Amino acid sequence: MKRPIVLLLAAVVLLPLLVRPAIATEIWIFAIFGLGLNLLLGYTGMLSFGQSTFFGSAAYVAGWLLKHYAINVFLALGIGMGVGAASAALVGYLCVQRSGLYFIMLTFALNQLFFFTAYQWTSVTGGEDGMPGIPRPALAGIDFSNPLVYYCFVAALFLAALWIMRRIVESPLGRILQAIRENPVRAEAVGYDVPRFKLLAFVIGGAFSGLAGVLYAMLFGIVPLEAIGFVFSGNVLFATLIGGSGSLYGPVIGSFVFIWLSESVSTLWARWPLLLGVAFVMVVLFLRGGVVEAWTRFWTWRSSKPKT
Amino acid sequence: MAILETKDLTKAFGALTAVNGVSLAVEAGTLHSIIGPNGAGKTTLFNLLTGTFPPSSGRILLDGRDITGTPASRAAHLGLARSYQRTSVFPAFSLLDNVWVAAFATGLSWSGLAWRKTERYAEVTARARQALADVGLAGRAGVPAREISHGEQRQLELAIALAAAPRVLLLDEPAAGLSPEETRKMVALVRSLKGRYTIVLIEHKMDIIMSVSDRISVMHFGSLIAEGTPGEIQKNPEVRRAYLGGVAA
Repeated sequence: MKRPIVLLLAAVVLLPLLVRPAIATEIWIFAIFGLGLNLLLGYTGMLSFGQSTFFGSAAYVAGWLLKHYAINVFLALGIGMGVGAASAALVGYLCVQRSGLYFIMLTFALNQLFFFTAYQWTSVTGGEDGMPGIPRPALAGIDFSNPLVYYCFVAALFLAALWIMRRIVESPLGRILQAIRENPVRAEAVGYDVPRFKLLAFVIGGAFSGLAGVLYAMLFGIVPLEAIGFVFSGNVLFATLIGGSGSLYGPVIGSFVFIWLSESVSTLWARWPLLLGVAFVMVVLFLRGGVVEAWTRFWTWRSSKPKT
Repeated sequence: MAILETKDLTKAFGALTAVNGVSLAVEAGTLHSIIGPNGAGKTTLFNLLTGTFPPSSGRILLDGRDITGTPASRAAHLGLARSYQRTSVFPAFSLLDNVWVAAFATGLSWSGLAWRKTERYAEVTARARQALADVGLAGRAGVPAREISHGEQRQLELAIALAAAPRVLLLDEPAAGLSPEETRKMVALVRSLKGRYTIVLIEHKMDIIMSVSDRISVMHFGSLIAEGTPGEIQKNPEVRRAYLGGVAA
């Protein structure tokens, strides 16, 4: 467990030297978003195609409060997590009784409901134009409008989020959620109220999504309508699957690959999502565990070779 | 005194009455077997007892208390644990984690649910290891469940039920699909559990039933047609006609 932490810390330090601070920041924000999804997808076995509901709702509410009431940054983050958790509780409550395709379609449909609400409610959300003018208020003399300062802030929050998620998945709750993924009928029979635990996973995942949403709004100073749209839900799903949904670090690596590709390749070639599509197909066909699995396979292959 | 009782229990699926007016009383500390041909409603009866679905009518009593309609996730907390005829384990988990998750469910406290590390629940881990030891899998604790043999999976199936520290153990054909040698081991195992738990056993293999049971109830087309000691059941002409047929004649 030590090595990934060291690699991660190195990445946190080196990333702003390699790419623009805004992109580096976005990578960690997206990673927080992915951590929340992966509790549902990788650990509980629920494919949610509506994660941007929680991300976007939190971004709008906290963004609005930041803009009109100039609230404290931490209060904004707290409110965002609360909104993320509450919207996830609502969506989760309606979804956890279903499974398979119906579950996926329901998360998607509810996402669309939130999307069109934001789309129509132009007086608050700005509709298609988004909600601009979201400030990054200074806190205790720390000026977050400096991109590098904001990067450090987000990176620290990401590390905290990762640590918290690690504690959760290594706790009894993490094991119960995995038991539900492995065999929901038996999990129920040994004494767990499966829908309630699924709902709990939704709420925790929603809080992580909400945190990411607020950080995103403050990063770009705007909540674009896409932040609550299905493409965003799909992106985080793509990133998590490419990184590897079977492990804690999968979504982090996936976010890195996804954001880095989208920012660097998109300037060279407008049809870059094509590449992403190919990568996705490869993962689904040959590498269910994503980049993390490729990595472990490579190391087992290397260590199995006789030394010469 | 009867620890587990059913009163006129009935379950209908549309036109099919799978369990029809079953009144059963299981005495504490005994091994009570339920036999009957395929489709007699034995597994449906287990599903009713453990709350997989509610009965159409009738009542279920545990210690004289009405528990009818208790959902499946509550049954374990009341002290009812079951094993499945078709192996139902957590394939990706190690054997220890398989029983650990069952032991935790009925543990003393869920404090630290989302925060404390699993290895810090010493009492739960101890009970989980004991359950594995009870079925003879102590040496395989770290192996993933998907990699063990069918015989071992049947033992694990039983261990998951034991880990819940139940008062009544409902075993649905524990020897299903086992070789004669494995069956002998399973019978010895079930016998070793006698006295420690009240056991309700569904089984097809007559030699097992006759050698381990204290009492036997016979089901046929959803109804109980006879009940008695193994000796009485063997002599009962109606049972012979319905079930034993040519085998015991």
